[in-house]
Amino acid sequence: MSYSDPDDPAPPARPSVRPFLQSGPHAAGGYRPTPGREMSPADEQTTTLRPFVITSGRTDGADPDIGMETQVTVNHAAAPVRLSPEMRAIVALCGDPLSVAEISARLRLHLGVTRILVGDLRAAGQLDVHVLDNDTPDPETIMRVIRGLRAIS
Amino acid sequence: MDFEQSADRARGSARVGNDRPKKAPVPVKIIVAGGFGVGKTTTVGAISEIAPLTTEAEMTAAAVGIDDPGQAVTKTTTTIAMDFGVLTIDQTLKLYIFGTPGQPRFAFMWDDLIKGALGALVVVDTARIDDCYPAVDYFERAGLPFVVGVNTFNGQQTYSLEEVRWALAVREDVPVLSFDARFRASVRDALLVVLDQALDKAIRAQRT
Repeated sequence: MSYSDPDDPAPPARPSVRPFLQSGPHAAGGYRPTPGREMSPADEQTTTLRPFVITSGRTDGADPDIGMETQVTVNHAAAPVRLSPEMRAIVALCGDPLSVAEISARLRLHLGVTRILVGDLRAAGQLDVHVLDNDTPDPETIMRVIRGLRAIS
Repeated sequence: MDFEQSADRARGSARVGNDRPKKAPVPVKIIVAGGFGVGKTTTVGAISEIAPLTTEAEMTAAAVGIDDPGQAVTKTTTTIAMDFGVLTIDQTLKLYIFGTPGQPRFAFMWDDLIKGALGALVVVDTARIDDCYPAVDYFERAGLPFVVGVNTFNGQQTYSLEEVRWALAVREDVPVLSFDARFRASVRDALLVVLDQALDKAIRAQRT
């Protein structure tokens, strides 16, 4: 598993600090701020602009086993490695079991991006991804949900 | 680097206090689908133990690929927001409730979403009943147990449940009920009907 070099200037971090680039030449593969568009402060978050920069451009290849509700925890036995800021943030969140959807919501990362990064972190041994053995819920589990729901008022 | 290592050690020592790593709960999910403004988020919020969270999925994800960087900057990307909530059943079981837009152009993401889902509640506003057709179509085809819930949030029901059933032409065994998305007990009861359907299906599947 290879990650982008952490010593890179990390263009995804702050598109707003280099506005002069917006009028510069847009060479293929180069740094590309979104041109011709007024950025409201809310838009300055890179994740809303170019979410898949973080995944080095990968938009698919997310593990189909990793669903929105899939639980993720830190693998405490993993050797410390250098990770991108987004990956560090994910690892920091998952001290207690957390779903992929919650990671995505709390870090304001796109769901697709989150799934890819979680898959990478799993492959790197940093995260435990608790994939369920059987896809279809069994009657016993459903009964427990029914009982649990009935108990709330 | 040093910092990361020491942070890791700190985590490691903190764990000694805990007897064992926290076991991840089993997640189950129910889908709440419907057109815009029918009360999906209200439904999710009424039952969730946390304020509904929002996650965003990128519609033009495929167009932002590294092979085609030129597209990304010119293309209008649509972001779909999905609201979801959580209900902890017990230490080992968590119920997730995902609210999802019901438009046919968003159907592409439902395949992922319904994988492993217990069932769905299709929220209907009788003033715009056709908004829910795509969701009903989709769940019927996918074989996901679902319930049609007419949201009576404005206190009035323009059409009777029989009329709604007729308009949707759903199978006899698909429950059509009315509920009020603002009230937890009402949402809970609607979800219990969904779970009944899910249980029926699971038992049938187990027998065969």
